[in-house]
Amino acid sequence: MPSILDILLTPFMIRAFIAVVLIALVASTAGSFTVYRGLTFLVAGVAHAALAGAALAILLDMYGIFPGFSEVFGAAIFAVITALVAGYVGRKGETEKMEVAIGVSFALTMSLAILLISMIREYAVRAWGLIIGDILLLTEKDLLLLTVTTLIVVFAVLLFYKEFLFVSFDMEGAAAYGVRAELYHYVMLLLIALSVVVVLKGVGAILVYAMLVAPAAAANQFSKNTTSVMVWSFIIALIGGIAGLIIAALYINVAPSAIAGLIVTGSYFITLIVSRK
Amino acid sequence: MGNNYAIEVENLTVKYGDEVALEDINFKLEHPSFLTIIGPNGSGKTTLLRTILGLIKPEKGYVKVLNIDVLRNPTKARHMIGYVPQRERISVNIPIRVADIVLMGRLARFGPLTTPSKYDMEKVKEALELVGMVDFWDKRFSSLSGGQQQRVLIARALAVEPKMLILDEPFSAVDIPTQREILNLLYNLRIRKGITVVMVTHDVNPVIECSDKIMILNKKLIAYGTPDEVIKDENLLKAYGVAIKIIPHEGICYVLSGDTHA
Repeated sequence: MPSILDILLTPFMIRAFIAVVLIALVASTAGSFTVYRGLTFLVAGVAHAALAGAALAILLDMYGIFPGFSEVFGAAIFAVITALVAGYVGRKGETEKMEVAIGVSFALTMSLAILLISMIREYAVRAWGLIIGDILLLTEKDLLLLTVTTLIVVFAVLLFYKEFLFVSFDMEGAAAYGVRAELYHYVMLLLIALSVVVVLKGVGAILVYAMLVAPAAAANQFSKNTTSVMVWSFIIALIGGIAGLIIAALYINVAPSAIAGLIVTGSYFITLIVSRK
Repeated sequence: MGNNYAIEVENLTVKYGDEVALEDINFKLEHPSFLTIIGPNGSGKTTLLRTILGLIKPEKGYVKVLNIDVLRNPTKARHMIGYVPQRERISVNIPIRVADIVLMGRLARFGPLTTPSKYDMEKVKEALELVGMVDFWDKRFSSLSGGQQQRVLIARALAVEPKMLILDEPFSAVDIPTQREILNLLYNLRIRKGITVVMVTHDVNPVIECSDKIMILNKKLIAYGTPDEVIKDENLLKAYGVAIKIIPHEGICYVLSGDTHA
């Protein structure tokens, strides 16, 4: 019987740990702006669009129409399109209008996802992986794509931090003071969409919402400034992810994504009660 | 240098799709002066402010701010203006410090990755002192009262060293003493610092004494001039569609019923 350490040091576990760090990075950067802008619903909508995109990629690969078409790539295309459409509807800063558009696209892409997944029955494992995540099955190619995507998100958020904050705080004011508010609005949505793809690959479509929104929402409850929100959402997401992996290593039949989801959402409810104002 | 107008608007028509928001607006506002814009809901008040800021492209006509053509050179025009948007449109979901909010407007002029200079921080401090909020420097914006938030937003506008202040409903959800304080502040900026103040409001009464000019808007320019010239039964009837009583007091005419939901 191998020791826990042996399991934790296997290549697939190491890849999973790296993926957890990547997820925590996007949960802290893109996640905090999602919470600031009240766009948590966008994450759910984009996640389900990404699910449809990934399912389509599997189909194209499976039927030999486009062999080797990456799921991550398919997911990213659908995610970005959904985010841009939602962004167009809400380009003047009306979040309510965006919610309706996202709701409708949610229904559309979810139907599409179910249709496509039902067509890949033979590959049920892969489809299931999209829904609950396959962090333990990541290939090196997957990890490379996820790393590049994460770096883009983190770099862009740090570069445009000031502008993103201004636009999130007050879009009209930002425009009036000379910020290209609409451009930054789109860039922000694009980064959120890319983050959804990173998290989707790790924890699956259902739990994207938990991993991308809950850590920042929890951190936002008690943080006194925006830097603290970023740092704490990173820590919360990281703890959730690592705990998920360790528990999955101890009890083989437990999905790591579920543990991670429970921990980060639990942290939100704890901060909600503790920091009640 | 040309003439000395803060705003020149000529033949201005603004449409949202097929819907006319503003029709054939013409006026000139001397610099410095205090202009109050009133009118019923949906009368195009905010649209006019946005057009002056160059945020909306008009269908017809032109807007000049301090001799700068806003359509051709919006960035340059915006650098002259400190803007205070409606507080309702601002997110209180972000833990930003008061000082950082005041800094926002100044830093927006520069591109990404600029860090504030000592001079920037001095200007922020001065602006917060002017509105009496310097003790709140480190406080979270969302923890402030409505009136305090409003003053911070005015400080943000002042920190850009503007020649003109534009305020959209600065008195909404602000109690009467705070309203007085804000008004005193704006009046002093106009008198002592020579800043033009342009304000949209629902309740004209507290502002009448301070205003050099009043504008009544209802998609068209109903009336524009000194308070005496503008606050008249027929103008209010034309704008609001109902007769509104006017009460003269110490030589100033007051409008009974500040609410404009006609």
